[in-house]
Amino acid sequence: MIEVEHLTKRYRNATAVDDLSFSVPRGRITGFLGPNGAGKTTTLRVLLGLALPTSGRATVAGRRYRELVAPIRSVGAVLEASNYHPARSGRNHLRVLAAAAGISGARVERVLAEVELSDAAKRRVGGYSLGMRQRLSVAAALLGEPGLLVLDEPANGLDPEGIRWLRNFLRSFAEDGGTVFVSSHVLGEMSQLADEVVIIHRGKLVAHQSVSELTLQAAGATRVRSPRAEELLGRLRDAGVEAESTGAGALAVHAPPERVGDLAAEAGIPLHELVAEAGSLEEAFLELTAERNE
Amino acid sequence: MNALRAELLKAVTTRLLLWFGLGLLAFLVLVLSIHIGSSDPQDLSRLSTQRSTLAFGGLAAIVAVLIGSLLVTAEYAHGTINQSLLAVPVREKLLGAKLAAALLVLLALAAFADAATLVIAEIWYHGRGLELHLGRDTLAPFLGAVGASMLAGGIGVGIGALLRRQTGSIVAILLWLLIGEGVISAAGDASRFAPGHALGAVVAAHKVGARDMLGVWPAVAVGLVYVAIFCGAGFLVVLGSDAPSSGD
Repeated sequence: MIEVEHLTKRYRNATAVDDLSFSVPRGRITGFLGPNGAGKTTTLRVLLGLALPTSGRATVAGRRYRELVAPIRSVGAVLEASNYHPARSGRNHLRVLAAAAGISGARVERVLAEVELSDAAKRRVGGYSLGMRQRLSVAAALLGEPGLLVLDEPANGLDPEGIRWLRNFLRSFAEDGGTVFVSSHVLGEMSQLADEVVIIHRGKLVAHQSVSELTLQAAGATRVRSPRAEELLGRLRDAGVEAESTGAGALAVHAPPERVGDLAAEAGIPLHELVAEAGSLEEAFLELTAERNE
Repeated sequence: MNALRAELLKAVTTRLLLWFGLGLLAFLVLVLSIHIGSSDPQDLSRLSTQRSTLAFGGLAAIVAVLIGSLLVTAEYAHGTINQSLLAVPVREKLLGAKLAAALLVLLALAAFADAATLVIAEIWYHGRGLELHLGRDTLAPFLGAVGASMLAGGIGVGIGALLRRQTGSIVAILLWLLIGEGVISAAGDASRFAPGHALGAVVAAHKVGARDMLGVWPAVAVGLVYVAIFCGAGFLVVLGSDAPSSGD
């Protein structure tokens, strides 16, 4: 659905995106993760034709955004919540976009109702809360009934209720067959929402995997239970493995289960439980970006 | 056509035109009242004086250049250029629609200024017991005001695209009108070709030029050259630059 190929974007003294390549499959929610300044927004803006690439390309369904026949009927984009004329009403903002794409006024009313802004549609956007503006952004993205949503930090500044609304909305959009590509640095939110994640750091690709694969790889602890837990703890420490007792014959070991199992077998210590506890997406993210920093 | 409709809708869904329209009306009331109220009745009866009185509608051209620039710079000031480019990603098409919308809006504004000028002048002439002769000679500046406003609007759109900063564009335009045009007057006959002088000649709408003023058609041609220069340069800048963003 989205193809980013050897994309580079340089500003005067800085490289925001550096030879970045990845693809986003159709019909899934893909998170786009990276610390602040990683190049997420720049990548999305190049994808949407708002910034010009230094080299490489970013396409939607094989075409550059400006080559799409009916762009907002193909891609719905949610960018900064501040991109509004404060004196224009919410309804008029959508009417302008609808007029540009040849979309009817009736559709404007429908999307206003969908994002629960019908009652505030007459009011000037300057008086909207951040959450309302974010909903208006979503309404604008939905105007053309697109199959792909591209969102840049959509949860920024939203209160918990707004975040829950957004999460439910994106889930239902994906359940209806839509594709979602959403950037965020709120990892907890992404772990609940995304099927897979693209992680970038300093403009370069760090990982592109499913959330489950990624969290399994993270340095989660191995939970082990043995009737000779104290003896096993000594053996593990002798072997230079970090481990601690969690009570009732159980240990938390900071090593993969294979290593723990091998050491226990060498010592002839019986095990009643050996479980790999997956790390969180946050741990995976921090580990991967820390590796890059080194 | 869709892009043009969207640009027209943008222009009329904020209060920009309302405030500029009201400001222009107030200014016309003021200057026409001072002019007609303080002039000698014999002088006011002359066709040449009546023609220059009705040319006050050409003040719309000053407002037009500001509105033209604001139609572009407001998009950058509020970040709405991003949404506009998402809806119309072919920048040449978006800019073309902006220019066309500006010309249509400013045609309407100039027609409003002409109508207001006529009504205010009629009221004053009637009040002073004089007759305003409305004929081909006296009404020519009305068409001149429309033409000059559209040309000024085109120049304004070009300046807006070139600078893309709201305050910077307004300051640059006002400095040119208040100081630049005055300074260039010292250049003698050549000052006829300065933008403000040329647009003034379009408003005056004299078939034949004078030493300090071009005839109407050469003035229109000079105005079109300025529109082409400013829009050409401004559009190239927009085509080759990123839309503004505050993200990473």
